[in-house]
Amino acid sequence: MRRKEAVLRVRDAVMFALPLASLIVAWQVVASLGLIRVLPSPTYVLETLLNLCRPAKGGTPIILAHFGASLFRVGMGFSLAMAIGVPVGLLMGINRYVNYLLHPVLSLLMPVPTLAWVPMLLILWGLGDRTIVAAIFLGGFFSIAYNTASGVRGIDKDLIRAAYTMGASKWTLFSRVLLPGSMVSVITGLRLAVGYSWRALVGAEMLAAAGWGLGFLVFAARMVSATNVMFAGLIVIMFAGYLMERYLVGPLEKRTVQRWGVVRT
Amino acid sequence: MGSGENIAASGPAKLEARHVRKEFGTGEDKVLAIEDIDFAVEENEFCVIVGPSGCGKSTFLYLVAGFEKPTAGEILLNGRHIEGPGPDRGFVFQEFALYPWKTVLGNVSFGLEIQGMEKKEARRRAEEYVKIIGLSGFENAYPHTLSGGMKQRVGIARALAYDPEILLMDEPFGSLDAQTKKLMQTELLRVWAKTRKTVLYVTHSVVEATYLADRVIVLTARPSRVKGIVEVDLPRPRSYTDDEYLGAREKILGLLDEEVARAFERETSQAQRTDEGPAT
Repeated sequence: MRRKEAVLRVRDAVMFALPLASLIVAWQVVASLGLIRVLPSPTYVLETLLNLCRPAKGGTPIILAHFGASLFRVGMGFSLAMAIGVPVGLLMGINRYVNYLLHPVLSLLMPVPTLAWVPMLLILWGLGDRTIVAAIFLGGFFSIAYNTASGVRGIDKDLIRAAYTMGASKWTLFSRVLLPGSMVSVITGLRLAVGYSWRALVGAEMLAAAGWGLGFLVFAARMVSATNVMFAGLIVIMFAGYLMERYLVGPLEKRTVQRWGVVRT
Repeated sequence: MGSGENIAASGPAKLEARHVRKEFGTGEDKVLAIEDIDFAVEENEFCVIVGPSGCGKSTFLYLVAGFEKPTAGEILLNGRHIEGPGPDRGFVFQEFALYPWKTVLGNVSFGLEIQGMEKKEARRRAEEYVKIIGLSGFENAYPHTLSGGMKQRVGIARALAYDPEILLMDEPFGSLDAQTKKLMQTELLRVWAKTRKTVLYVTHSVVEATYLADRVIVLTARPSRVKGIVEVDLPRPRSYTDDEYLGAREKILGLLDEEVARAFERETSQAQRTDEGPAT
């Protein structure tokens, strides 16, 4: 059994790595033939990435300083979106009138691209963390609130009836039925929000960052036409987003909805 | 003897439905689901309601549970007017309605915990009922790992655990396969013999009703009224081939056949009306 598991794991890793490896090979070929003028070769990008690992003034590697600035902003923005989005969504799910009030507002605001808010935020707060964090918040908030609300409203009516039959108070119903019952949707909202947060971050950093941040790095590189730096930045953004999704939302999902068997694994 | 009207007056009934009427919607959309249901259930009785599909028998059970309010008339439990759902009635749902995030034990002890029983005591009590219902060894399993029959065992244990005055069952074995259904009926009677809980059970199956019931309430097609009441005074376990069993079954079927035909007619005429709408 153990052995079979190990074999499967290797197979999965290969299945995941193979398309990526082919992509990199194709990239190298296209780049070394000079088919696309602005495309740096993967080896050059790797070299740049290693270069960026040189320590900056404070002693931390340059790329880590950029990464750290971005991570801090995403952390703040995403936490805020979660801390406000989940309760708002729950309220909308529980209370019909809150839902009547907020549903149209949310429906209208949700499709607005996050970056469209940034100019206004710039007037309000200027360049810097506050503007970027606010943009990330807006990027994540709507999907969290919306999904949480529909999660609560989608709970099987019989589960609610059963609780009332057993004598549940409104509070018990909320904390022990509605809250766990909406978990699948809450997690879906969080998962989407992680992606939106990163997107919002990079965009907002291009417009509103002063000095540090992965988005800033990629954007600033255009001034010296350093496509190698742009690609290095993109790769870090890619991995950071992937890891965040995997190690933040993944474990939450495994411990809750997967164990309960309400989603397929 | 077979008429229901006198039973309500004959003594203190466990459950009493007095001229219950239920309408849904308002204005043009108004639907009369229940016209007038009037009967009583005695203490320790296993009472089964049968009726053609869509007749409002589940609606009636919802009224007893307090999920809905009657438009007119009243329902009394132990002589007290029913106001909303409460733990003096246990409900068993057709689709089980188990909490997927709770284990078998967690589901069964939930009602006890809600009612303020100390956690340890609730667990002990839940374990007892899990055992009674024949699920020992599955205490820590999550519902999604259980078969339909096992899920409904949990549903029954959950409803019995907090010792309600009456057990309301809404086609509890309706979504189970024929073999499991038979087994569960036998199991239910075994548990019932042990607890002697008053049961009000809704089904569309005459075979099931005759097998389980002390008394069968036959409802008319919608809007429902009590068409007739049949006493099934036969010892348990009953045999499906026994003459007396078949006699009782025929009696119920006789009452029901006409109503099923009526319900069918109404449905097909509705279907025809929609067919005549847009050209296909």
